[in-house]
Amino acid sequence: MPVNAEKEITTLWRNLHTAQNEICKTYYRWREVALEIAGPEAKPLDVALKAAEMMGVDIGKHFLPRLNWLKGEEPFMLNLGRQLAGLWAGEGAVTTVEQGESPSEILIRCTRDPWPTAARQYGVPMEEVALTREKLFQTILVDVSVFFSVPLKIEMLKAIPRGEGEWVFRLYKDEN
Amino acid sequence: MAKQLFEWDYSSYPGAKKYPKLFEPVQIGNLLIPNRIKYAATEDNFNDHTGFITDADVAYIRRRAEGVVGGLCFMQGVYMDEARKGQGYVGQAACWDDKYIPGLKKIADAIHAEKAVAGFQLMDCGRVGAVEVPSGHGPSTVPQRLRIFKPMYEMTKEEIKEMVQQHVDATKRGIEAGFDIIEISGIVGYHISNFISSYTNRRTDEYGGDIRGRMKAVVEIIQGVKEVCGPDIPVGIRLCAEELLDDVRGNTPEESMESYKIAEEAGADYISVTAGWQESIVPVISRDVPMGSWVHLAKRAKEHVNIPVQMAYRLFLPELPEKAITAGELDIWEICRSMIADPLMPKKVLEDRQEEIRHCVACNLCLARLFRDAPMTCYINPVCAHEHDENFFPKPVEEDDEKEIIIVGAGPAGLECAYVAAQRGHEVHVYDKREEVGGTILEASKAPYGDEELMTCINYQKTMCKKYGVEFHLGTEVTDELIQDEMPDSVVLATGPLYPEIRGTVGEGAKIVNVLDVLGGTAEVGDNVVVWGNRKPGIGCALLLANQGKKVTIVGKEKTAGFDVNPSFKWRYMIYLRQNRVMAYNDCDIEEVKEGEVIVKTYDGYRFPLKCNTVVISERGANEGLKAVVQGEGIELFVIGDALVPRNMSSAVHDGYRIGLRI
Ligand SMILES: Cc1cc2nc3c(=O)[nH]c(=O)nc-3n(C[C@H](O)[C@H](O)[C@H](O)COP(=O)(O)O)c2cc1C
Ligand code: SF4
Repeated sequence: MPVNAEKEITTLWRNLHTAQNEICKTYYRWREVALEIAGPEAKPLDVALKAAEMMGVDIGKHFLPRLNWLKGEEPFMLNLGRQLAGLWAGEGAVTTVEQGESPSEILIRCTRDPWPTAARQYGVPMEEVALTREKLFQTILVDVSVFFSVPLKIEMLKAIPRGEGEWVFRLYKDEN
Repeated sequence: MAKQLFEWDYSSYPGAKKYPKLFEPVQIGNLLIPNRIKYAATEDNFNDHTGFITDADVAYIRRRAEGVVGGLCFMQGVYMDEARKGQGYVGQAACWDDKYIPGLKKIADAIHAEKAVAGFQLMDCGRVGAVEVPSGHGPSTVPQRLRIFKPMYEMTKEEIKEMVQQHVDATKRGIEAGFDIIEISGIVGYHISNFISSYTNRRTDEYGGDIRGRMKAVVEIIQGVKEVCGPDIPVGIRLCAEELLDDVRGNTPEESMESYKIAEEAGADYISVTAGWQESIVPVISRDVPMGSWVHLAKRAKEHVNIPVQMAYRLFLPELPEKAITAGELDIWEICRSMIADPLMPKKVLEDRQEEIRHCVACNLCLARLFRDAPMTCYINPVCAHEHDENFFPKPVEEDDEKEIIIVGAGPAGLECAYVAAQRGHEVHVYDKREEVGGTILEASKAPYGDEELMTCINYQKTMCKKYGVEFHLGTEVTDELIQDEMPDSVVLATGPLYPEIRGTVGEGAKIVNVLDVLGGTAEVGDNVVVWGNRKPGIGCALLLANQGKKVTIVGKEKTAGFDVNPSFKWRYMIYLRQNRVMAYNDCDIEEVKEGEVIVKTYDGYRFPLKCNTVVISERGANEGLKAVVQGEGIELFVIGDALVPRNMSSAVHDGYRIGLRI
């Protein structure tokens, strides 16, 4: 039977998107569970940031074997930026990575993101979506910074959930 | 005058004439060692999980003590803290209390019984430790790169002092147990090396900073240990000459040499040179690293210190250390894996029985087992880990029980079985349709990245077959009629695997060849190749073809490529596949082969085409050939090696050995 490439790709593509949507939805379903167990006193943003922190630390450990300082600072930073962007892309975002103004500065841009859409379905405040993403990236960098003795920082310059049309993160080496 | 513990005279041995330097005495501190050979400390996971020595460990070390023919024989490194943060292996020997002394004494006595010098090693496993507890200790809190290891926490100054004292106390126990020489292990990422390395020591107090600061704890240990040892018991240290950790900002080679000088100043009586860390991304001791690659580090050490320099690391042939010692680049030949594979290796060198050495094939299975909390075993040596069990050694058969045995297949399984059975007194006939012995290893050894060393197994088996009078019938295909004519008492089928046909449709013009013909260089192969089978034979073949500039893709049904290769070596293959741009589609099968392309089907039903003008079959299946006739005639039957279940060379050797013992 000849391969019908269009059919094969369409099925794969559909399954991929279903899986990506499920990642966001599963997270928000768990958020509801956590809030219910935490009780009415708990602030949803605190719970979300704690979750981001725990996930970030774990993801950061996965980054360690894939990074190599030997290749020089510029490729190291670019590779790190690509890993962060790649993680997001796996969840369904459209991302790009650009060199910033110095070799130790990288801009991660995201022009399309499924997270705010899913968040809306579960009634999650948009500011929480923005801050959770920032916290996740920040905590991913904690172990990476210690491991390679490089003071890494990341800051959110723009965020889709803030109505700014795109996300922009600035990843840099904090010389101060 | 230096003290010599046992008298040895090598003058009448042929090996001592061939390798005069290896069998020359050497002085370490005030101890005269009769030769330049050392069995290097080897963790084996044989001891009980509370650190007490077992009979298995005593029997293991006694064989190696016999092997060093009067030289140094070191026991595995002991951990020294009751909190077990320094314990790196579930079966590691402990020494944090006097209650361990009787067990340790058994080890020292076993070594002395072979007139060898008993070495005691102190090894806090640091970053690689805490195997039984939630977290480990180190100079600084630096995250682990390999997730199988536990998180580390920074030690206080008081804890560092305690750790120094633990080394001193353990030394006292080692001396009481009867050991003659003490070694502090600062190898491959254990605690001592964690203090020395700029990667793991980020302290800002007096135990950190520059290399002198990072060596402070080590100096305190050397001085403390020296003090209890006095002038008669030498103290050595294993230290990294090159950490190979540039990617995580480890020490420079200059800093490493500085650490050697500081250790010498502190009173160390010798340096054992090591290379790399567990966490390093540079391969150091696997088969793809040529033998002798690291001798230059010993030479460098000799240029920086005046005390004796020892080194192991892929010095698998006596010619290599002999040459290095003659050139003044090394003083003592350390051996680890070569003596796991053949405990009597240096003894055989001395007796000029080199062809009888079962050579290590540098596969690192022994290490992989340790990290999976299993007792050490050896890929190539079926007796390893069973030295205490007399059933694992060939026993002569009673005259009435002597059998005539036909072994079909002269590959690693058949040859192993043949010499063991012959050694026990059976009459053994080995048949093979090929003109040469070796079976599929003849071709498998043509794969790149060191696989030619696999032939050492066949060469050893050939020698042993000759020694025990095995009769060969090469170039003879065994048929039903041959079995019926000969009517032997037993038949062992070691016929190797069968190569199945592609299950899917095979169209006109499709070119399909066998992996053995490709490896053997007799098959013509196009530029776009699909290798069917993602186990080791497929990987070896794919890499050979990729090295020839072909575009190679692997399609195989195992969930991961190289699932039959142990993790301590598999990572090398994964890197080579990536470097050679070989894509592996795992959990997949070939659905159709056409002219110019194959259709691949994933486990969940997706299908896609791959450009391909040659398909190489490396999938294998069991071989049932001749079974029916043997059983039909009521002859005792054994099936071994790939004929039973296609696996690797190790399984073939182990199968062969066990059946050789039982038959
Ligand atoms: C299974 C295994 C266990 C080892 N255990 C120890 C140990 O307890 N202490 C130590 O200092 N080195 C240990 N090593 C390192 C060896 O002593 C040796 O330095 C290394 O294997 C390189 O030598 P080789 O190429 O002769 O094997 C071990 C190595 C292996 C393969
Ligand atoms: S398991 Fe492999 S590396 Fe280890 S001693 Fe045996 S053959 Fe050598």
